[in-house]
Amino acid sequence: MNKLQGNIVAVKSSASMSIVDVKAGADIFSAVVLETPASAAYLRAGKTVTILFKETEVSIGKNLSGMISLRNRFPGVIKGIKTNEILAEITLAYQGLHIVSVISRRSAEKMELKEGDHVEWLVKTNEVSLLHS
Amino acid sequence: MIHFQARKELHTSDGPKRLEVDLRVEDGEFVTLFGESGAGKTTILRILAGLTLPESGRIEVDGSVWLDTAKKINVPVQARSIGLVFQSYNLFPNMTVRENVRFALIDPKEDNFIEELLHMVQLTELADRKPAALSAGQQQRVALVRALARRPRILLLDEPLSALDAAMREKLQDDILEIYRKFKITTIFVSHDVSEVSKMSRRMLLIKDGRIIKEGSPTEIFSPANPSGKFKFAGEIIAIEDDGIVAVVTVLVGNNPTKVVATQAERAVLRVGDKVVVASKAFNPILLKAV
Repeated sequence: MNKLQGNIVAVKSSASMSIVDVKAGADIFSAVVLETPASAAYLRAGKTVTILFKETEVSIGKNLSGMISLRNRFPGVIKGIKTNEILAEITLAYQGLHIVSVISRRSAEKMELKEGDHVEWLVKTNEVSLLHS
Repeated sequence: MIHFQARKELHTSDGPKRLEVDLRVEDGEFVTLFGESGAGKTTILRILAGLTLPESGRIEVDGSVWLDTAKKINVPVQARSIGLVFQSYNLFPNMTVRENVRFALIDPKEDNFIEELLHMVQLTELADRKPAALSAGQQQRVALVRALARRPRILLLDEPLSALDAAMREKLQDDILEIYRKFKITTIFVSHDVSEVSKMSRRMLLIKDGRIIKEGSPTEIFSPANPSGKFKFAGEIIAIEDDGIVAVVTVLVGNNPTKVVATQAERAVLRVGDKVVVASKAFNPILLKAV
């Protein structure tokens, strides 16, 4: 599980769900959660939360151009690659932290990913969980 | 309402411990006492039933005092309105199923009630057999309805299902819940099985070293914190298969083995037997209508 600490900066809600913007370091992460400030008191600006997302939900982009729907899109540098027959685990340096992505080995080979590559990592907003105390 | 207060020395395999409990159970509530063996769960039930005397304590049930050590009040077991079911069934081997249940009646004329109870747990067909001719699960169902035959105010269930296999256990869990819903009987259920507790109760008390250390819903207690994921179940790890980059962890949720992919870092802290919470964003699960 990838974990980042942050503070809620904005919450926009419909009747049953909210999109929550969380500032972690210099970047803003977005999470769609099935809660609203009315049902979950922690959904308010200033509240400290932990951003959680599974390694298997982290996509990797290299030389991306054009538009993409994924709102959580941040730069990283590949620090390590481990593989088995099917999967590749990519460890990225991001703001002094490590982000881990598990993608298919085929993709990693097709993209010719290697240590030192500057890439982007992407997570869909509906794959991001928020943990609060 | 039950208001239970007791203090007593516990003699456990880890040496002596102090039981010190102050607990309230609302009328018609289903509460689970959860904890490791030796934590004091059974002792609490035994004190409530009048089978064990605490060093000091007071028990009040719906305004009547069952125990007050300071005033030397101690209502005997048979005068406390309680139905008890233990892991062992303690049926009379020389009596039939029906006779076993009838034996517990306060009013021996309540034949209809016996038949209703036997029907509820599908024992009507077996009512003329002796306990030895029944399976373990069937015998425990006899013990369960026998405990109800006295129309007790409180039903005390001390790990009644822990000797049964998974399928039989699930069946009896359903029977107990059905009985609870039908009779609205205040029930205190002792268990050390996470998935069972999650299925059976809205409120549970976590007992450790003779004290209630946590109280809440099973999800609140078994979750380490509150992830915003709505797809969340408590379970127990029954297998871990390593596959290099990831591991496939099998978690028993209820009686359903569920597989979850974990990375090596997550897997490193997990052991078979660990109690865990399986959580996912509500967006991921797929619903297929059952045919």
